[in-house]
Amino acid sequence: MAKVTRRSFVTTVGAASVVPTAALLTATAPGAPADAATAAKTAMDAASGKPVYLFFNADEVLFIEAACERLIPADELGPGALGAAVPNYLDKQLGGAWGAGERLYRSGPWQPGTPSQGYQLPFTPGELFHTCLRAISRDLAASKTPFHEMPADNQDAYLKSLESGAHDLDGVPSGIFFDMLLKMSVEGFFSDPVYGGNRDMVAWRMIGFPGAYADYFDAIDHHGVKFVREPMSLAEDGKGHIHTRQDIPANL
Amino acid sequence: MNVLAGSIMILAMHCALAQAAPSAKPSGATPAAEAPAAPCEACHGAHGEGMAAAHVPRIAGQSAEYLKKQLDNYADGTRDSPIMTNFAKALSDKQRIKYAMLYASMPMPQSPQPKSLNAVQFARGHQLAFQGDERVRVQACNSCHGPDGVGVLHAAPYLAGQSADYIASALKSFQQGTRKNDAGELMRSVAKQLNDADVIAVSGYFAQVNLSTK
Amino acid sequence: MVQRLKEVDVVVIGVGMVGSIVAKELAAAGYKVVGLERGQTRFTVPEFQSPAIHDELRFDIRKAMMQDNTREPVTFRNQGSQVALPVRRWESFLPGTGLGGSMVHWNGQTYRFQANDFQLATRTRERYGKNFLDADLTIQDWGVTYDDLEPHYDRFEYLLGTSGKAGNIKGQIQPGGDPHESPRSRDYPTPPQKEHYSGAMFRKAASSLGYHPFPQPSSNLSQPYTNPEGMKLNACVFCGFCERYACEHYAKSVPQTVILPVLLANPNFELRTGCQVQRINLDSTKKHATGVTYIDAVGREFEQPASLVITSMFAINNVRMLLLSGIGTPYDPATGQGVVGRNYAYQTMSTVASFFDEDVHINPFMASGASGTLINDFAGDNFDHSGLGFIGGAFIGAVNTNGRPIQYHPVPPGTPNWGKGWKQAVVKHYNHTVMFSLHGSSVAQRQNYLDLDPTYRDAWGQPLLRMTFDFPQNDIKMAAHVTAKAVEIGKAMGAKQVAGNPRKGPYTVTQYQTTHNTGGSVMGDNPKTSVVNRYLQSWDVPNVFVIGASNYPQNASWNPTGTLGALTYWAIDALKNKYLKNPGRLVSA
Repeated sequence: MAKVTRRSFVTTVGAASVVPTAALLTATAPGAPADAATAAKTAMDAASGKPVYLFFNADEVLFIEAACERLIPADELGPGALGAAVPNYLDKQLGGAWGAGERLYRSGPWQPGTPSQGYQLPFTPGELFHTCLRAISRDLAASKTPFHEMPADNQDAYLKSLESGAHDLDGVPSGIFFDMLLKMSVEGFFSDPVYGGNRDMVAWRMIGFPGAYADYFDAIDHHGVKFVREPMSLAEDGKGHIHTRQDIPANL
Repeated sequence: MNVLAGSIMILAMHCALAQAAPSAKPSGATPAAEAPAAPCEACHGAHGEGMAAAHVPRIAGQSAEYLKKQLDNYADGTRDSPIMTNFAKALSDKQRIKYAMLYASMPMPQSPQPKSLNAVQFARGHQLAFQGDERVRVQACNSCHGPDGVGVLHAAPYLAGQSADYIASALKSFQQGTRKNDAGELMRSVAKQLNDADVIAVSGYFAQVNLSTK
Repeated sequence: MVQRLKEVDVVVIGVGMVGSIVAKELAAAGYKVVGLERGQTRFTVPEFQSPAIHDELRFDIRKAMMQDNTREPVTFRNQGSQVALPVRRWESFLPGTGLGGSMVHWNGQTYRFQANDFQLATRTRERYGKNFLDADLTIQDWGVTYDDLEPHYDRFEYLLGTSGKAGNIKGQIQPGGDPHESPRSRDYPTPPQKEHYSGAMFRKAASSLGYHPFPQPSSNLSQPYTNPEGMKLNACVFCGFCERYACEHYAKSVPQTVILPVLLANPNFELRTGCQVQRINLDSTKKHATGVTYIDAVGREFEQPASLVITSMFAINNVRMLLLSGIGTPYDPATGQGVVGRNYAYQTMSTVASFFDEDVHINPFMASGASGTLINDFAGDNFDHSGLGFIGGAFIGAVNTNGRPIQYHPVPPGTPNWGKGWKQAVVKHYNHTVMFSLHGSSVAQRQNYLDLDPTYRDAWGQPLLRMTFDFPQNDIKMAAHVTAKAVEIGKAMGAKQVAGNPRKGPYTVTQYQTTHNTGGSVMGDNPKTSVVNRYLQSWDVPNVFVIGASNYPQNASWNPTGTLGALTYWAIDALKNKYLKNPGRLVSA
């Protein structure tokens, strides 16, 4: 993933008008270089490039990108799943240790269980996605328009039918797949950009979460005052470059 | 319920800053940077570059909030410096805000200070900055001071490229308790765990951090 | 090939907070102590340092600090008639692993239980009559009183440096503290943490309704503190990465910051990590433990003989160790006979969300794990339960612990689960919502218990623990009652919309609630209804002591750690001054 300088965000934030007028604790722009606007634009263009998908095949990408963007759409508040590179996050997680069953107890015997007993399928997340996406592809083959070209309302209707569990996706109740897709999309939207989603920390900026660097000993006394600071990733260096690394292990 | 608006001076300053920030809507206000800077310039320089050899810190690009607080604290005695105390006491609150904003608006110097450490000292400085040391129960400086010590707004000043002598003297004043304006006494706690060699190592380390992209 | 090691005086299974304190005291008294920890060593530096530790995906979502569930999960069912299935991912509760145990990732909320809680059965009968309780509840007295434990609570709080404000010192009510608390001998070692905006709003509203708000006792410290062990701690900076994380600043009281360095410096103590204890070994009489058998990180099996065995694991793992070792009679819910696994209880957690206009800035990310503002007016037996049909209660508090957005993005009821409506609601409410935590008690019920699973096994081939649990009706009624009171506080704060979410059944392992699992090896005066006596000594095998929240006969309205610390020092007192001077039964059965 391309690197974006933190300084550029000063300009970007202002342009996106996400600094509310009530902001009192406000970000300053220490030493913003004169050519910040240009530098920012270049970096953003580079960052907005299509991800290189390693887990999803070309057909799967079309569905995943379209579906994620319906789950978290771009709107007047800011980018959605595509703008935040959520599909890239899904691709890297599903193609890595998490997709292979990290932190998942995988011994049988396998039984469906009750809703309160949670996930009980033998599939790893990676296997589950490939299995379900194949079944969805077959299911949708009958319709004249591929999912990614459907009008948004039709896309939503299909996603709702998945959510309700109406489909049998090669033995997987579609609600289980949908829940995992939605949960991981929210993760990709809001997690640290080190994992390849939440690109340029757009989701953090949208809600005002300041990120990984966090020391509010003095600030906490300012009751009711909006706190504004450029968000900071755990993976940024002193020059403001965010280094992505998707294989951080799920242990200490 | 926005109960504190306008009731705290530092917040008023932030309102002004919001208007001065390059991304804000045009306000017609005169940019703070055009104000004269007479009292600070003699030591801190016309561009806030400081005088490393004389323990005078760089203040260009340091946050206005931090600079204002230091001026207040020099005046109220929670930070001691014979020179700065007199200057700060002579300044009105408005003047403190003005000068804090002035130097905050200047570009933070990207160039490192001259190298002063041998390889062993550098390794120790790097260790304290990035990781800390369990043996003396000191956490990583960068936890609060940001990646490479670039500073974190509303939390901690930048250390990158700062005068090594200045950082060392600041740590000493925290150790001795003559500087006591740190949030939660955190810097006093940390500084007391460092020995003289640690102070030299970590001060020299941050001084030579190079943030220039060239 | 089992390798038999040289005998030691004491083996401690699990080096978390309990294990560290016990080992430290006994090693200092001159006994040779071995601590067996299944996880890895880890310290503030380098393992807990930020920014790497401030990773919500890794630590919140992926549960990076938790017991390795791929090797050692539990199985679960709501009812005995169902087939228990493995909890394949942790969600509802999060047992830790590694040096320092679960306390490394705790929030630091450090309470005492009230005098009433330790004599719950007796006092409930006295106040409400014999037939007040549902017939299938198995609540009972603890066998110790608050007065027994008070000096040990005090010692534990001073070990941690807990930041708080006393409400009752030796019977004198203290302004600003909790007037409902049982008398304490002195104030907290450090003053309360700063109050978050949400706490200030709560304080004002609760006061206006005649309640008694007070600052949450916090072991994320308000100021630097040096404890009686000589350990120096720093002030918490409100980073908002507390529970499920470790603290980078030496500001949260955990074994690494308050006692482990002292323990590890004592040559009488030896720490062995990566050691999975398989069982406590008994001699042919089954009345005497000879030591433990464990498998190390590379798969070698060892027998460690010891004169005294102390299990100091997370509550449910204590119970499993007793069951795997054949110590005590397993509980049978059909007959009500047996004790090991009996009286498993939990915590009945409800929430209330108060939604404000967008000019009310809450800044939820500025947070310590325990800097809330609370009332105890509806906790325990602090209100009259006559005619209510339940016992117990909950503290209600604005306990703002974080604003980490994958987990924390509150939306009002009726918001779509996804799409534009969801996204807009998330953005609209993220910084303008106050969440109350309603931390409810949990009664023991005949049908709720722990035993060994007949089917599923861990990575070493041993049966998993099987949990059979659903919320008792008593607690569902309690949650509804207290939630209604909390909603009134939300309204009094001036919220635009207040949404109460009282805990309802069935209990599910798919949703995080709390890691306050209690019971299963409960303490008491009667070996027919308890696993350990009042000194936490096994009734059946007197040279085994079991220390954990597994000792609680039922769970009270507060976080259990403070009481566990008090019980630990209480048991150490008995060990040092009674048992080790003359090994044998401390209470005749």
